[in-house]
Amino acid sequence: MSGNFRARRPPSPPPGAGHPPSTTTAPFSTARFPHPRQDHLDADARREAASKGYAPGRSKLNIPSGGLNITSGEVKLLIGLVLVAAAVRLYRISRPNSVVFDEVHFGKFASRYIKTQYFVDVHPPLAKLLITLAAFLFGYDGHFDFKDIGKIYENVPYVAMRMVPALLGVATVPLAYLTLRALDCRATTSLVAALLITFENGLVTQSRHILLDSPLIFFTALSMFSWVGFCNEDKHKPFTDSWWTWLVLSGLSLGAVVSCKWVGLFTIATVGFSTIYQLWVLITDIRIPPKLFLRHFTARALCLIVIPLLFYMTMFQIHFMILGSSGEGDGFMSSEFQHTLGGRGMEDTYADVAIGSEVSIRHLNTQGGYLHSHPSVYPGGSKQQQITLYPHRDHNNDWRIVNATHIDPPVISESPNGLRYITPGMRIKLSHISTEKMLHSHDIRPPVSEVDFQNEVSAYGAPGFQGDANDDWILEIDEAASRDRRDREAVKRLRTLRTKFRLRHALTGCYLFSHKVKLPEWGFEQQEVTCNKNAVRANSLWFVETAMHPDLPADAPKVNYRLPGFLAKFLELQQVMWTTNAGLTDRHLFDSRPDAWPRLRRGINFWVKDHRQIYLIGNPMVWWLSTLSVVAYVAVRGLLILREKRGYKDFNNTTVVKYDNLCGFLFMGWALHYGPFWIMGRQLFLHHYFPALYFAILLFCGVFDFITSSLRPRVRLQIAAVLCILAIWNFSKFSPLAYGTPWTKKSCEAAKWGKHWDFSCNDFLDDVSL
Amino acid sequence: MASTGKLRQRVPVSARPNFEYDRIQEEEHTDDVFQNPNKRHPIEKILETDNASVVVVAVLTALAFALRFYKINHPDQVVFDEVHFGKFASYYILGEYYFDVHPPFAKLLFGLAGWFSGFDGHFQFENIGDSYTQNHVPYVGMRALPAILGSLTVPVVYAIMKQSGYSTVIAAFSAAIILFDNAHIAQSRLILLDATLIFFMSLTIYAYVRFQKLRYREFTTEWFGWLFATGFFMACTWGSKVNGVLTVATVGVAVLIDLWGILDYKRSPSMDYFWKHFAARAIGLIVIPFTIYLSFFWVHFALLPTSGTGDSFMSPAFQETLAGNEMLLSAQELRYYDTVTMRHKDSKVYLHSHVERYPLKYDDGRISSQGQQVTGYAHADENNNWQIIPTKALPETGRGRIVRHNDMIQLLHVNTNTVLLTHDVASPLMPTNQEFTTWPRDDTSRFNETLFQLSLIDAHDGEAWKSKSGYFRLVHGQTRVSMWTHSKQLPEWAFRQQEINGNKNPTEKTATWFVEDIIADETGEDPKERTGHQPPKVPKKMNFFRKFGELQLLMLQHNAGLTASHPYASGPLNWPFLIAGISFWTENDPQKQIYLIGNLVGWWTCVVALSIYVGILGADLLSRRRNSDPIPEPVRNRLWNSAGFFFVVWAVHYAPFFLMNRQLFIHHYLASHLASALIAGAVLQFILSETINHPISVEAPTMRRHKRQYADIGLKGPIIFVLFCIAMFSMFVFLAPLTYGTPGLTGDQVNSKRLLSSWTLHFAAKKTAEVVQ
Repeated sequence: MSGNFRARRPPSPPPGAGHPPSTTTAPFSTARFPHPRQDHLDADARREAASKGYAPGRSKLNIPSGGLNITSGEVKLLIGLVLVAAAVRLYRISRPNSVVFDEVHFGKFASRYIKTQYFVDVHPPLAKLLITLAAFLFGYDGHFDFKDIGKIYENVPYVAMRMVPALLGVATVPLAYLTLRALDCRATTSLVAALLITFENGLVTQSRHILLDSPLIFFTALSMFSWVGFCNEDKHKPFTDSWWTWLVLSGLSLGAVVSCKWVGLFTIATVGFSTIYQLWVLITDIRIPPKLFLRHFTARALCLIVIPLLFYMTMFQIHFMILGSSGEGDGFMSSEFQHTLGGRGMEDTYADVAIGSEVSIRHLNTQGGYLHSHPSVYPGGSKQQQITLYPHRDHNNDWRIVNATHIDPPVISESPNGLRYITPGMRIKLSHISTEKMLHSHDIRPPVSEVDFQNEVSAYGAPGFQGDANDDWILEIDEAASRDRRDREAVKRLRTLRTKFRLRHALTGCYLFSHKVKLPEWGFEQQEVTCNKNAVRANSLWFVETAMHPDLPADAPKVNYRLPGFLAKFLELQQVMWTTNAGLTDRHLFDSRPDAWPRLRRGINFWVKDHRQIYLIGNPMVWWLSTLSVVAYVAVRGLLILREKRGYKDFNNTTVVKYDNLCGFLFMGWALHYGPFWIMGRQLFLHHYFPALYFAILLFCGVFDFITSSLRPRVRLQIAAVLCILAIWNFSKFSPLAYGTPWTKKSCEAAKWGKHWDFSCNDFLDDVSL
Repeated sequence: MASTGKLRQRVPVSARPNFEYDRIQEEEHTDDVFQNPNKRHPIEKILETDNASVVVVAVLTALAFALRFYKINHPDQVVFDEVHFGKFASYYILGEYYFDVHPPFAKLLFGLAGWFSGFDGHFQFENIGDSYTQNHVPYVGMRALPAILGSLTVPVVYAIMKQSGYSTVIAAFSAAIILFDNAHIAQSRLILLDATLIFFMSLTIYAYVRFQKLRYREFTTEWFGWLFATGFFMACTWGSKVNGVLTVATVGVAVLIDLWGILDYKRSPSMDYFWKHFAARAIGLIVIPFTIYLSFFWVHFALLPTSGTGDSFMSPAFQETLAGNEMLLSAQELRYYDTVTMRHKDSKVYLHSHVERYPLKYDDGRISSQGQQVTGYAHADENNNWQIIPTKALPETGRGRIVRHNDMIQLLHVNTNTVLLTHDVASPLMPTNQEFTTWPRDDTSRFNETLFQLSLIDAHDGEAWKSKSGYFRLVHGQTRVSMWTHSKQLPEWAFRQQEINGNKNPTEKTATWFVEDIIADETGEDPKERTGHQPPKVPKKMNFFRKFGELQLLMLQHNAGLTASHPYASGPLNWPFLIAGISFWTENDPQKQIYLIGNLVGWWTCVVALSIYVGILGADLLSRRRNSDPIPEPVRNRLWNSAGFFFVVWAVHYAPFFLMNRQLFIHHYLASHLASALIAGAVLQFILSETINHPISVEAPTMRRHKRQYADIGLKGPIIFVLFCIAMFSMFVFLAPLTYGTPGLTGDQVNSKRLLSSWTLHFAAKKTAEVVQ
């Protein structure tokens, strides 16, 4: 099967044998990759060439060829691989016809995109956009709510949506093949890698549903492939057209991977470390003039930092462009942000606030909403009327600013038509318009935050009653937050929207305060408002959102929220995503910690219905072999270092050096995609291991290539065939869990190899035919 | 000091292929190096004499004592963590068992200091601000201990630098950074563990430096002496505070680097040589320290024979070794048909049920079974009474009626005559856990669902179930969930009691319960009489190693569990820059306060020094790769090995905090700050002069002698030192009211002391606008 391409690729020569006979002058050349392989070099010669060869033309013979060199036979093989992978991943993709696992979320997000309703998710938008695109093209109108796992799809093109991850999953298979080929592995090895990935139950399961991991793995694979391709070009001859092509492609795919999930940052780190190593070699090579180094540096910085960043930001630009109207995600965003969403807009309002103005006051920090009161009382404490924060516009948010002193305040700042502006230090009362009560505070503990330094805030008084001194508040303008180049008045007197102020209770000295604490049912779960003696600055800042004064002329100056630019929106959303992500610390029934992943300790239950089950579990053989190869690499590498210390010259052996570089790179990829999870506190799942698994499988194949390097090609092929057949047998054993096909209780019990594998066999029937 | 490869290689010339190259390199720098000690600057010559060194040490030490003992009796109140550590000292004196996350060595010293100064242990250190004088506590004696150790840290720092071959001025510079540091002073004037920790940590560094200097005289008595001294001090550091384990790690890292050098085939052609070195270090740095560490605990247990506040943390077996322990006195075997009350071990709520039922539908739309509520209730109540019902035939009398490990039982709620049941219905608050309810006793239709397996913790087969000491899990027979509760309250409909539900992990650690009391037995007799009169119980014995193991595990768990937020907790990134301190103590009337904050000049100097150091190493690495060699060989060795060791000390004492989720405070940085002061000295020497005292290691008799070199930093050294000391001292005096807690400050003074806006000082004058009337 592989005879026709193996001929071009003799095994690495034994150490010291010099260059192999020049049988390998391949005529294969395409316009895309214009560097035909001139000769086959062993690792030493490559290293030599690499250390000399940045200046072009110095020694033509010893320069490794860049780009990708595959034969036409391999192209056919690749087509075959794609067909097999497609068959494995697309088999009965329309089943189950109900919502599976996190399709609950990602399906819902697609609906939101189509309805253009704003939402907030912890993942960047690219993969969700792709899924939405598929849904949109196949006529989905966004009406389905994806409420529960197991809900039957109605008029949803879910097959098209599932096709996106599935096709990307299929495309990962040839990428694995090509990556290993570009890393100078044999075709047999690459074929093993491709087949192991094809028949990895976990990857299959994950790519058959509307989930983000399959796109993530695809783009990770793409990044690695293009980066390896670039490295080859770089060794050959830098700054050629194809060198730039590979580099830009690397940058774009890095942008794509990080736009799927933030886990993509690990891929960037992998490439980053690899780049730093390259640059270190360059800068410490005294034959490289600083100017050339600077060129190398700039090119990489441009393509590996700027391009991914631009790509990432473009994705968010598209995200914002689509999500134009208000939706369930509003509450996460600041008022300015919300103002950009359709349905959340506000009419222009008067800029000046004076004694007698009717205002609505909003809390700055928590997005909790407006200072609110309603005709319900606190069940405890003073039993007076409640003050809360309420997120929606309502006439109960309207307050009138009343002069708190019996004489008129001295005129510090007055409008042209005689209105007294509110200035810092002014003593005011806030009268709730609909209930005619005053904003009031006293030395009683608030209902929820019952601590010494908190006082209750209530609405107190009666129509016509003047109120007492506990209704008095002193306005303090927070200059740092109110400073505004376009409205210099904002620090001098109260201006709608622009001035951020604090309200100090005149008698007790506490500050009007709110925080993310909800009142119980009796308070309609609105946010608690208190008067805090140790108020954190950020949570005691307020601003006037709307202001109206009967005496103001209609042509008085008006203001509105400043629409945040893209950058401001982008940064705000990043921050919200970060905090939301860090806040995902609840336990989930099927979550797991990183130590469990390489052992495949436990899977995830995706879906159970009608005596069928989908359960995410890997192909045990592939999984354990890959882990084993990681362990073996670490052990062997450690042994080599020790031997080096004791004077053995292992690293003079070309085979050792070649496989050390190859496996070292893949190991670094594995470690960087796995290690950081250890320090993450958030909820983690088995599927977070998949990018690392991809590297581990490639590493296994690298090890395989090394072990079989001294064998005859036929024997190697036979071993590979045995491995693949075993993997396929494993796959078929667990495939009912991947496809959700009928299974019997008995074979299910027999498949429980791990103690903690908790797919529920009781849900299966005793006999399929029943 | 950590790696010694370069120097050793000089002996066999043939083994160094690039010897020629190195020789040329060295000669390039000969002009920079003073070979003749008499050519040095006169000041330097005077300062380098032993007498001068003695004078400098004496002055530094005297100053250190003066600054640390100044007004040590103020405040005469309990300050900050004296609440804990003072209390522990009194427990040692009283012999009452307590539990703490830190190992006992430093606290033993406090106990000793208290005992020595005549403290009777009857003051409990309940609250910050409690008066010592009114309660006749000899607190000055107890505070003197950390003050002495803190003062002695200064000469030790000097000695470390001096032994590492830096000039007298440089050594004094490093010592001054510690000497005038407000944070070190504030921390060592109070009954806190850190001064002890820092003192022994610096001694560990000192001993290791001395040990390394003897590396050409390996296996001599002196060499072993310093090796064992390192191990001893290391154990004391570790025994003082949990953080001391970082010092152990530091020495571990340094030893690994050292051994790695020895492993080189050029240095030890046969492996025997390597193994000899390995064995010596294993004994000196693992076996001996561990033995000492164990001995602290041995003393700890020996001094605390009676029951105290720490009982409830320990296992029943442990508690039974403490005299007067309730568990020891009142543990009784349980028999079937006994009526008992059961409590959850962690949250201490009783298993409770009442006639009210679960609402049909919860707020989130889920449906309940509408069965009788089973909750956790914190107070004693009739409704906490449950009777143990057997599921097997019982003999009429005798020991056959005792309930044993792994028995299947039913629990009958006495007041409502219903039996405990759980089934596959989601609990009110956690959809993943099972609901607990009860079922009428007469209705046997769901009999199987009312069976629970009694699983005693750490029990052997057939062990009897005892009240108090018999911790157990109650595992449902059919669904294998264990009865569990958590701190979330149920809503109003269950009177805000705690939820009881079935945890799907049958071996869940927090699902542990115990029988609080036997209310009545089958016949209603008082069960206390049934075993007849008992002789007074003697504390049981328990193997020391089992006690140690249990305590050590608990300490680790509780240390990791200290995650509650604290108003003065701060993140590691803030520490080197002194972004925030800790308010230790305040007194309203004269507006006095103690605020733990470092000397801004000293700390920022250290930060600058650290960044310069990293910069120099990076530049050196790069320039050597690019074939230029700007630093003379001995100077580079000093920079990489000696300062490198200090850098390892700094990094190992600092970096791990980034990974910790527990409460962190600025005083956790003090050990690293000390290391950074050492680095600051090394960097200053490097900047001031290209010369170095070399060699400083004791040479073996058979070695070819190195050419001697002498450091000469001339007049500029002392000048810089004096200027620096003036700056340090001014800053120290400026911040001193916050450190000593006296004199009181007015609001405006407080404002002026707030050098960084992030310092949260008390009594700050408010900058509020005048009220317009």
